[in-house]
Amino acid sequence: MSNAIEARGLNYRAGKTFEIRDMNLNVPAGSIYGYLGPNGSGKTTTIRLLLGMTKRISGDVTLLDHRSPDDLPAALAKIGYVPERPHLYPTLTVAEAMRFHAAFYPTWDAQWATRLLRVFELPHDRRIARLSKGETGKLMILLALAQRPELLILDEPTDGLDPMVRRDVLAAVIDYVGDTGATVFISSHLVHELERMCDWVGVLDKGRLVTEMPITQFKAGVKRIRLIGAPEQALGTPFELLSRVPEALSDGESWVVRGWDDPMREYFEARGAKIRDIVDLDLEEVFVEMLRNSRQGVTR
Amino acid sequence: MFDDIDPRSPVPLYEQIAARVRVAVVAGEYTPGAALPSVRQLAASLRVNPATVVQAYRDLEREGFVEMRHGAGTFVQNVAPGLREAERMKQARELVRRMLAEAARLGIGVAELSRALAVESGVGE
Repeated sequence: MSNAIEARGLNYRAGKTFEIRDMNLNVPAGSIYGYLGPNGSGKTTTIRLLLGMTKRISGDVTLLDHRSPDDLPAALAKIGYVPERPHLYPTLTVAEAMRFHAAFYPTWDAQWATRLLRVFELPHDRRIARLSKGETGKLMILLALAQRPELLILDEPTDGLDPMVRRDVLAAVIDYVGDTGATVFISSHLVHELERMCDWVGVLDKGRLVTEMPITQFKAGVKRIRLIGAPEQALGTPFELLSRVPEALSDGESWVVRGWDDPMREYFEARGAKIRDIVDLDLEEVFVEMLRNSRQGVTR
Repeated sequence: MFDDIDPRSPVPLYEQIAARVRVAVVAGEYTPGAALPSVRQLAASLRVNPATVVQAYRDLEREGFVEMRHGAGTFVQNVAPGLREAERMKQARELVRRMLAEAARLGIGVAELSRALAVESGVGE
């Protein structure tokens, strides 16, 4: 198995406004894959399509070498899923919810569940309805981890949680990965959170997978270059041009590029442009430029 | 000691982690034989990919700063004086490089900088 999740030519439509068209997704086994996209870009829909909870129009999905939907039960037995909205019975206590969940998973690790309960400081006798948002978030992660999944699918697992809980939740996930080498597919619009833990990123915008690559490549040599006398045409650049915009307060231009290396200054010098400044960009800025680019296209 | 790793920095995380360990070893904060945190432990506490920590530790091993003993953990090596010197020099140059870049941005020349350095360090006037 080289990919834990594989989608080929996935198609889906909801009404006239939203569609996923011909999506190809590859989540390498053993990776922590960050699925990034703004609100409403289709992250939850993709996950529901992958897990067979929403019906696709066409396309092939393979989860842990099991084809979906024919072989879905076998795949789901090995997948820990944390949905965007908790699906727990509010009248159960924490301990009851754990027993209930455990009954579905022969791989359930009761000892580890108890340890997580302690780490997360969850009150085992409290009813779900009376848990705080943070406690509910931690319980969801506990349930998914204690079933010892080969693949974790987390849909915005930290959305709306405070920084302390967020930290605890992600640390528990990473601890699990460090122990088992499990694959993690995690969706979020919080770029910084994913930046430190993911080794792969997929960027989704309006139902389209804009890019999918190792994060090192995604971030490699991404710079903002401020230019005076920028060449009108940006052809044959030794770097990848993500965007170019005129600067607000000067006659210069600001280019965002990927794959920059210092000797490439020569490209601008040869065209009579002057480099004012070269600034490093972080993942969030790359993400924003990439979306801008995918929506408008770059003027070359 | 790993508190200040910065995921937004263009310096890759594994390199930042390795750099912290090098500094600690060279400064004598980590003595020979001392155990580094386990990969799983450090990854979870920094919330970084375990592979990132493994890569940092492998680089450190290749450079002779640590030894990874299978199943036992990662331990600080007795660092040769030459390596220690070289590493200190490397770190000093890195500091200067950053200072020069910042100065260039502000339009401050090398002469002014060295005067400021003399004043601040108390060797000058």
